[in-house]
Amino acid sequence: MNAQGTVNPGRRPWSPYVGGALSGLLVVASVWVTGKFFGASTTFVRSAGFVERVFSPERVAALEYFVKEAPKVDWQWMFVAGIFVGALLASLASGTFRWQGVPPGWAERFGPSRLRRGVAAFCGGVLAMFGARLADG
Amino acid sequence: MDLTYGLVTGILFGIFLQRSEVLRHDRQLGALRLRDMTIVKFMLSTVVVAMVGVYLLVDLELAKLSVKPLVLGGNVVGGLAFGLGWGLLGYCPGTSLGALGEGRWDALWGILGSLCGAALYAEAYPVMKATLLTWGDFGKITLPQVLGVNHWVVIVPLASGAVLLFRWFERKGL
Repeated sequence: MNAQGTVNPGRRPWSPYVGGALSGLLVVASVWVTGKFFGASTTFVRSAGFVERVFSPERVAALEYFVKEAPKVDWQWMFVAGIFVGALLASLASGTFRWQGVPPGWAERFGPSRLRRGVAAFCGGVLAMFGARLADG
Repeated sequence: MDLTYGLVTGILFGIFLQRSEVLRHDRQLGALRLRDMTIVKFMLSTVVVAMVGVYLLVDLELAKLSVKPLVLGGNVVGGLAFGLGWGLLGYCPGTSLGALGEGRWDALWGILGSLCGAALYAEAYPVMKATLLTWGDFGKITLPQVLGVNHWVVIVPLASGAVLLFRWFERKGL
């Protein structure tokens, strides 16, 4: 669709109002059909439990939080996996898939170092997930 | 059956997120720096439509609300930690899987960090439960309940406020 351009920007994006409203309808349908509200952070606890169980099953069995949120694949785990699949399919179909290790905005401010970006992203992940669990989000 | 519904719901949500370009690091930072409101438009649209639809279902006795407790200690400190982390990572942990799906592989570091953060929280939970999570615990409350009004008295002004905010964004070209 993009005639002679050297970098094909892919198909034009949807309006965020349209994407957001469709997601809202999806929430309503999900609550109606299965009674499930959207969430993601419990899945990280369950998955961390899976990984930790490989190294130290006693530790996982001893921790109250892993008893409360036991390592298992449930509705939300499949939902989070689905987000990956959906984004992969949509980006391939629309020509907007980009194999990219440093976001352009980050590179502009902090340079092209993948290591620096990786360290910041990792620390950000630790903080964000700890906070999300603390706030019960 | 639940698992199939979860997967299908996730795939659809992933498509909506990806096509609206809200998975991207630069867009997320744009929202946090109040320069690009794409994410805010997406999230608020979802909230308004879901709020109206879910309360309709509740009124028709077709669904039940899932109310999270208001615990000021956990909500405020957790919110601050989440905000710092989100700003550093530039992906929402929940949708970082989507960012990875569209090829932004730095999200992988964020996903690994999130798994470590979750494991760390499991270790810290007994201490949190005895301290932060006891501070300002108001239980499972909602705005209509606290104000003592019908829920539509809250929903209509909130939805109208969102529409006014959208109009202002569009006028300012945000």
